[in-house]
Amino acid sequence: MSRAVVLLAPPLRAAALVAVITLVAFLCIRAVPGDVVDVLAAQGDLTAAQQAELRAEMGLDAPLHAQFGAWLAQAVQGEFGTSLRFGQPVGELFLQALPATLRLGLGGFAIGLGLALALALGALAAPRSPLPALVQAVNIWSIAVPTFCVGIAALLVFSIWLGWLPAVGHYALPSAILGLDIAGQLVKPMYDELREAQAAPHLRTARAKGLHPLRIGLFHLLPSALPVLLALSSVVLAGALGGTLTLEVLFGLPGIGSLALHAIHGRDWPLLQAAVVFLAAAVVLVNGVAELLHRLLDPRPRR
Amino acid sequence: MSLFPILGRRAALAGVAGLALASVARAEQTATPRRGGTLRIATLGLDTADPHRHTGSIAVQQAYVEALTSIGPNGTVEPFLAEAFEVSADGRVYSFRLREGVRFHDGSALTSAEVVANLERVKSRIRGGWLATAMRIAEAFEAPDAHTVVIRIREPYAPLLNLLSELWILSPNSPGWDETITHPIGTGPFTFGEWRPKARFTAPAFTGYWQAGRPYLAGLEFDLRDDADHSLALRAGDLHIASIGRDKLASLSRDPAIRIGRQKDTNWFFVSFNNRSPRPPFDDLRLRRAIAYALDKRAFMNFAAGPDGIVTNQMVVPGNAYFDQAMHDADPHARPDLDHARALLREAGVDPAKRRIELVSWQESYAQVVVQMVSRLGFPVNHVALDDLGAQRRLGQYDWDLAVFSSGPRADLFLRYVRLMSDGPNPVLWGGVQDPEYDALVGAAVREPDLKRRAAAYNRAWQRVMDRYYTVVLGHSQNIIAHRAEVRNWDPGFTWSCHWTSGGVAQTWLAPQGSASQG
Amino acid sequence: MSATTMPATGPARRWRLSGLLAGIVVALALLLAVLGPVLVQQDPLAQDLLALNEPPSGAHPLGTDHLGRDVLARLASGARLTLLVGVGGATLAFLLGAGLGLLALALGGAARAAAFAAFDLLRALPGILLAMLLVAALAPGPASIMLALGLSYAPMVAEVARAAHARESASDYVAAARAFGLSRLAVLMRHVLPNLVGALLTLAAIILPRCIVTESVLSFLGLGGTPELPSWGRMIADAGNFAEEAPHAVLAPVLALSLFTLALSVLGERARAAADPLRGGTS
Repeated sequence: MSRAVVLLAPPLRAAALVAVITLVAFLCIRAVPGDVVDVLAAQGDLTAAQQAELRAEMGLDAPLHAQFGAWLAQAVQGEFGTSLRFGQPVGELFLQALPATLRLGLGGFAIGLGLALALALGALAAPRSPLPALVQAVNIWSIAVPTFCVGIAALLVFSIWLGWLPAVGHYALPSAILGLDIAGQLVKPMYDELREAQAAPHLRTARAKGLHPLRIGLFHLLPSALPVLLALSSVVLAGALGGTLTLEVLFGLPGIGSLALHAIHGRDWPLLQAAVVFLAAAVVLVNGVAELLHRLLDPRPRR
Repeated sequence: MSLFPILGRRAALAGVAGLALASVARAEQTATPRRGGTLRIATLGLDTADPHRHTGSIAVQQAYVEALTSIGPNGTVEPFLAEAFEVSADGRVYSFRLREGVRFHDGSALTSAEVVANLERVKSRIRGGWLATAMRIAEAFEAPDAHTVVIRIREPYAPLLNLLSELWILSPNSPGWDETITHPIGTGPFTFGEWRPKARFTAPAFTGYWQAGRPYLAGLEFDLRDDADHSLALRAGDLHIASIGRDKLASLSRDPAIRIGRQKDTNWFFVSFNNRSPRPPFDDLRLRRAIAYALDKRAFMNFAAGPDGIVTNQMVVPGNAYFDQAMHDADPHARPDLDHARALLREAGVDPAKRRIELVSWQESYAQVVVQMVSRLGFPVNHVALDDLGAQRRLGQYDWDLAVFSSGPRADLFLRYVRLMSDGPNPVLWGGVQDPEYDALVGAAVREPDLKRRAAAYNRAWQRVMDRYYTVVLGHSQNIIAHRAEVRNWDPGFTWSCHWTSGGVAQTWLAPQGSASQG
Repeated sequence: MSATTMPATGPARRWRLSGLLAGIVVALALLLAVLGPVLVQQDPLAQDLLALNEPPSGAHPLGTDHLGRDVLARLASGARLTLLVGVGGATLAFLLGAGLGLLALALGGAARAAAFAAFDLLRALPGILLAMLLVAALAPGPASIMLALGLSYAPMVAEVARAAHARESASDYVAAARAFGLSRLAVLMRHVLPNLVGALLTLAAIILPRCIVTESVLSFLGLGGTPELPSWGRMIADAGNFAEEAPHAVLAPVLALSLFTLALSVLGERARAAADPLRGGTS
């Protein structure tokens, strides 16, 4: 019985969390001055009468709770409505935008993870080399230097001055920048954890027995880095999301971040609401999975 | 440095984009068209898949949908899907003879029945947009035979033929016809391909297009991102045709692979007063005249549009059928006169130092020029620079004194006059004019079937605007649309449209890169 | 190993040097922010329409931007705004996170559950998105950005407060004291707070640069207040369009922002190392 509760509680809690976030987002979004009809009117030639007609047609003149109720009823069925600006189903717009964000995010994460592991292991293996200092430097870099600054500098150098890469539409440069940022967040905790694990008695024994350091590294050290990785995942994910947003804007990649930004500027409520729900659900999901894995993998008793 | 020799504005407007350019263009046009290739264009965006629901400037839709008429490079109406049209003497019956052999993208034939269905849809099913308003005056749509369409309207309405150029004819088989069309089936040279809003739109060629042998291109690709810098992509070859900001003109002109073109209709710049609830002392005509005398229109246009900016006091430029030379020559504010301005202030008993002016504009640098000019009179100016939406809202509060804005190309002059009417669309840029006398004068012009008399009627309305200083025109400029040398047989049209009867993407072809003629 | 002793040569000296450099950078920025209008005579808002995108010269040490405004003056003005908003936001985060969090912990029970549920809620929304929504909903300006920053980072602070509280409450000493009737409030005041201060200081070294960066990102995306206010993020966004013609106008704020946050982080790292010699120090 208690095990069932333990397993069920997190998903229910997560669902409740997402629901409340949606409500808060809805209220925030509705508080924004101006709606999509204002945006359309500012662009083109709409009389006051036509604006009123458009609002009625879009259902924007209904009371707030009715609008939210209607939206929620549809959302639970998976229908997130139609973009007020483009007339296309929101779900479709999302699916179109998702690949770009995934490509950027996952690519960046892969680069970051690889770089962090390589750096941490290397610093461990060669403590007298500059590598440990590099670990520190990369860590501080990711905290301190904003990704969009790096992005702009990179654009200036590689696209404008050197002309090696086109200015927009490619993934190599933004993935690399994001990867560097993620590596910075991962490398120091991993390095610290690995160092502590390395000092463990059973590993001293293993080294004394002459086990190859690589084998020690792979089979003993790495697994101990895993919990740290999971614990950091939510932080890294949040950072990655922020990073992809600015990088998408800078490099003209049509991902979810760009979509959300357009939704804000265009006062496109259904789109923005769906974006908020999606992002919040993603964060909650990743956190939940990470916590679950942590519990499963960490044999230490919980307090 | 300008690419245009000082030919005078007529030449510019007639579509001859400068001697140098013309000679190059001629050389590039005598070669035989090469088939294939994808033309990449970045001008404006695409807001909807339902062409009847557009609410703004349109540049992309014309690739896949066409209308009964189109606007030619000199602003006049051309036959398009209607190969001939006739207006009755009383101006209330419009007859159109449809072209034969026109097919929709799904293969079905275009007949008068489909045209009438489109007219009905716009009249009764679409809310908002100028088409709907125009169609309200229609009493009946008739299709006496398969290739004739007759529109009967309640009273004469001069802009109808021009406005019809934006009433696109779609097949009623288009999915979403009853609500919002999601996949428009038109008659254009290209078809509606894949649309990623704010990102990309692809339009593959339509092999059954009614202009035989066209289009030459295999497809179009529109870059819909509105926040990207097009000039870099143009130089790199990622784009073939792109609209360019004036600040990039210098670096692009130096590039031998780029040709500079100009849109034929103009953007016009103006300073408006708060006409809905003017705050003293700007309800006093002398103050308004003083401000107008402080404006150096030539200097402003030099800054905003370079040396080929056109200074005038009307909403059209020399060479346009509605332009009134006498009115232009009689402009008291063609040159600034600060002494006269200060005298007016003294006469009105106003001490400028004590009156702070609220000036609203978009976040464009040209507004600052007006700020500095007004400051020369001694007024402290609070310059409120906002984005589209913010400016809209602030202007709507009518708690400001001056507004400095610009407005772009339109299919018909009426669409400029209507902005100053009492119930006109988005009147805030002109201070929310509500003048029944002006409304009546414009109404009279709209009902006048004869061009000359209509022009005179419009100008009477405009004279009233000038006499009461609702708004002061500074000048006009033309949007720059640059293209790469390998793009052949392309020149920007009157409006943003990419396709019209006598030009556009249906006639464009791509030479192999690097084969551009020298020059 | 060598973590507890700091040899006077080699890596440690490099470390101290970098700390010194970082200190200089931060001091410079503060100087610029506080004394900016006095040191730099140019008006950051004045547009010289005849001198657009000018490279650095005698009259304009860092050149002008696309509207003819002096870049150095805007940099100085931006320093002030950036610092104000960053520090304000971080302060709000600490007040909300630690203040409300500790209060909730003292009250215990339902209040505590509610407060931390709220923090969980805030944390689940990605910071940047939350900030975007808040700034869009409230009137754009420094105040709304500070509020958005405060709300975004408060959960982080609250979490540290909760961890410190949990750690202290679980210690044998406190358990014994509680058994003798020590109130929750007293536990808070006497045991949690002193230990919390250290943790919060190290957290400040992380949060302050993040607040500054987030403010820059918001300004960069066009959500951070009015266009005249020369926040560094806004300067970067505006000058980015003219990066080719006037690289100095975009490089100046990019470098300023990067160096400043870098320096802050280095200083923070030094402070943390100094305060906590067991876990810190060089690599």
